[in-house]
Amino acid sequence: MSATYLGEFEQIVLLAVLRLGEKAYGVPIRAEIENRAGRKVTVGALYGTLDRLEAKGLVHSWFADATAQRGGRSKRYFKLLPAGVEALSGSKAVFDRMWEGLHV
Amino acid sequence: MSEPPRFAEWLLRRLVGGRDADAVAGDLRETLEARGGGRLWYWRQAVSCMAVRFSLYRRSLPGIGTDFSRALRRIRRNPGYALTAVLCLALALGVNTTLFSFLDSRYFRRLPVPGADRIVSISRERASFCTSRQYFAIRNSLHTINAAAVMDSGDPLELGRLGLSAWVESVSPNYPEVLGLGTVLGRWFGQDSASAAEPPVVISYRFWKTRFGGDPEVLGKQIRIVDKFHWVVGVAPAQFAGTIPPMVIDLWVPLRAPGGRATVNLVARLAPGATLANAAAEIRVIAARLRASDPRNDELASPPLVEPHMGFVWRFQRNFFLPVLTLLSAVSGIVLLIACVNVANLLLSRAAVRQREMAVRQSLGASRARLFRETLAEGLVLAAGGLALGIFLGYWTGRTIELVLPSVPYAMYRGLRLGIDWRVAMFLAAAGALCAVLFSLPPAFANSRGNLSPSMKGVDARNSRQREIYSVAQVALSLTLLIATGLLLRALDRVQHIDPGFAYDHRAYISLRDEAQNPTLFSTLLDQARQIPGVEGATAAWGVFPNTGGGCAAVAHGEKSRDLISNLVDPSYFDLMRIPIVKGSGFAPSGSFTNAPQVIVNEAMARAFWPGQDPLGKRLWFGPECTSDGKEAIGTVIGVARDAKLQSLGEQPEPLYYLSRFEDRGNGFYSLIVRTTGDPREWVQPLVSLVERNGGNVRIYKSGTLDAAVAESLWEVKWQASLLGAIGLLAIVLASIGVYGVVACAVAQRTREIGVRMALGAVPLDVQWMVLAHGLRITAIGIAVGLLLSAFTVRLLRGFLYGLSPFDPVAFAGASLAWIVIAIFASWYPARRATRVDPMTALNYE
Repeated sequence: MSATYLGEFEQIVLLAVLRLGEKAYGVPIRAEIENRAGRKVTVGALYGTLDRLEAKGLVHSWFADATAQRGGRSKRYFKLLPAGVEALSGSKAVFDRMWEGLHV
Repeated sequence: MSEPPRFAEWLLRRLVGGRDADAVAGDLRETLEARGGGRLWYWRQAVSCMAVRFSLYRRSLPGIGTDFSRALRRIRRNPGYALTAVLCLALALGVNTTLFSFLDSRYFRRLPVPGADRIVSISRERASFCTSRQYFAIRNSLHTINAAAVMDSGDPLELGRLGLSAWVESVSPNYPEVLGLGTVLGRWFGQDSASAAEPPVVISYRFWKTRFGGDPEVLGKQIRIVDKFHWVVGVAPAQFAGTIPPMVIDLWVPLRAPGGRATVNLVARLAPGATLANAAAEIRVIAARLRASDPRNDELASPPLVEPHMGFVWRFQRNFFLPVLTLLSAVSGIVLLIACVNVANLLLSRAAVRQREMAVRQSLGASRARLFRETLAEGLVLAAGGLALGIFLGYWTGRTIELVLPSVPYAMYRGLRLGIDWRVAMFLAAAGALCAVLFSLPPAFANSRGNLSPSMKGVDARNSRQREIYSVAQVALSLTLLIATGLLLRALDRVQHIDPGFAYDHRAYISLRDEAQNPTLFSTLLDQARQIPGVEGATAAWGVFPNTGGGCAAVAHGEKSRDLISNLVDPSYFDLMRIPIVKGSGFAPSGSFTNAPQVIVNEAMARAFWPGQDPLGKRLWFGPECTSDGKEAIGTVIGVARDAKLQSLGEQPEPLYYLSRFEDRGNGFYSLIVRTTGDPREWVQPLVSLVERNGGNVRIYKSGTLDAAVAESLWEVKWQASLLGAIGLLAIVLASIGVYGVVACAVAQRTREIGVRMALGAVPLDVQWMVLAHGLRITAIGIAVGLLLSAFTVRLLRGFLYGLSPFDPVAFAGASLAWIVIAIFASWYPARRATRVDPMTALNYE
């Protein structure tokens, strides 16, 4: 299987989804990225990336039933698929090899 | 608690759509509540979502490659249906290719010279721009343009012997410089050439190839143009055919140096940095100056036109063809529509076959959008195939027509270029894409239908009902075309039997111009013509069908003159042409030039000028602009002649007055007309020799027989009828394929039912009738709809029908009957096949 190339932002999004586990939907994902990476992300950019990752088969999403909170709107939850985990660890391995023996 | 901005939320729901929008809106609301407000922030987030929604990535449709490879695989598996679809499209697109390249050449094509987009033409609405003398006076003062003067001969000029003629442009010496023209051989003429003792001529590449066989030694040879010898100095580039398309110019000669009142138009190249608007402004100033210098010249009153040099230069030609072209465009559009419906039907019947496959795929999780896109991709592949073949067909049709064109009697058509350039290609690509969408949508919807259960069970009536409706539409549309064709054919038949009001059999003519305007010359020629053996009579007239002269007159002094048609005739004219004088008398056999001429009017003029009164003895005032010598004249009506056709057989009678050639000087143009005992063609040559014996100053313009002139005037309507007929035939072929397809498919779907019927003892004839009735039912409904549709559309044809009613019952009934016969044939084969169904096979079917 050919290695899936991941962009930096894609990696960040995947890692955020991975960190949040069961609670990964739009709002916490954005909060996680903002808190940890210190990046402001628009909702459009986030969903655009998530859609792309889903099309590549790296994440899976589903709609939870609507609740009385947030104006009765449903939530779209995300979960990493095995291919996503593999792509992430592949990317990490590339960086690890590139960093090996370097001190800056 | 802060509420999100309503409009932003609404937009989000509209533009992003679906549950995605719901989830996004929820996220935004939740965050908004958490951060405690911020409308601006909300808007920014909402807009980012919409931007992503419409971004290139989302629109580039991931997986599009798969769609197309699947479509190709399906087509490879069923090449028969794909071939039919591609052929249908190719035929329709081919027709459109030819037609559009015709339109292109007429309205958009530029001259084949370098930097053609900087070339402008300068003329006037109803006259030439200026005289050649004026041109030579102004040309060095022009700043925004470099202008060359062009005088076209208006008619082909005789080359020495009769029967050889050529189109000639007289051009100023800077003509090649303005247009950036080189030569294939030799050179263009220079500044000194106009007054040279050996006037030069540049010949066109075509002329060089056809008349000189491409002889490399052609330079220095002589060509006699009318009565003057010219020496060939160069051969123009192969693509170049002059600046007045569609006329194909054969020869270029130098415009005679400042002299005379010969009028010219200008062809110019914009100076570097100048725009069309600059040039137009400068020309307006120049035109005003010309007008001021010659206030009596009405031609200079017509406003100047400065236009990019595109398509046909003569405005009247562009306008003249507009109705025909509108009709043709409408017709070929209908043909394209019929072809689209055909392909849609084919795809729908494929969808019917595959509906179980689709239902299964959908229940296994394929999204409806996916199935929709796949069908659309299939349509695009078919359209691309049809387009490629269509352009190929259109190209060869165009080439074939170009080969036929030189035999056409009208010079306007001869120079048509029907090639395919980028504009034609773009138009067709757009038409093809539109077709693809049109014919793929119905099957795409059918394939991606939400409700699966009927499809899974294998019964779905909706699909076949839809195809029947399409078939009805096809029959209706093609019936409309068939009726239109029928009407034109009937009109042709009618116009051929119209009495022109004058005798045209056994009559030969020769059109002349006596430059010296010798008053006795034509009397001599007439006397001599009467002596030719086999000539029973001879007369002379200014205008011979279909050429007419203009004139004008008023009923009372001081009143505004009305534009009329006039003819200057020998007193023997009415007798020889068999145009009876219904009231009063004819002209006296002699007379002298006078400003009180006798006038004979036709019935139409009598009606128009003196309604309900006796026209005999009435006065007609001819202003100075109405007479040949520029002096006022007062005429007296002495007779009324019966109306005769003047320019075409289809026209309504127009007011016309005759003057005697003994009483009006005219301008030296006359045609001799002789009545012959035998085939008039044999008297043309004797007439030519007669004229050649008599005069150094006489030019021969044209010669022939009157019946040929009358037949030639019908060429136009024949051309229209046959073109429309050909396209109509194509429409019928396409529509009958459609009916056949629907009936055949219905038989295939009912194989089981038919088998059961046969097993239960149905007679083959019953089954045949059942199938045939199905085809006929579709046709009958189609005919009904088509008749209704035609009732509205045939009104548009009124201008082409020469007085025939657009609701001509023969055309309507004939076309309907023809369709019934076609439908019987189209349903016959499927009906026969239905009776061959073996009951056992049918029951085991599936």
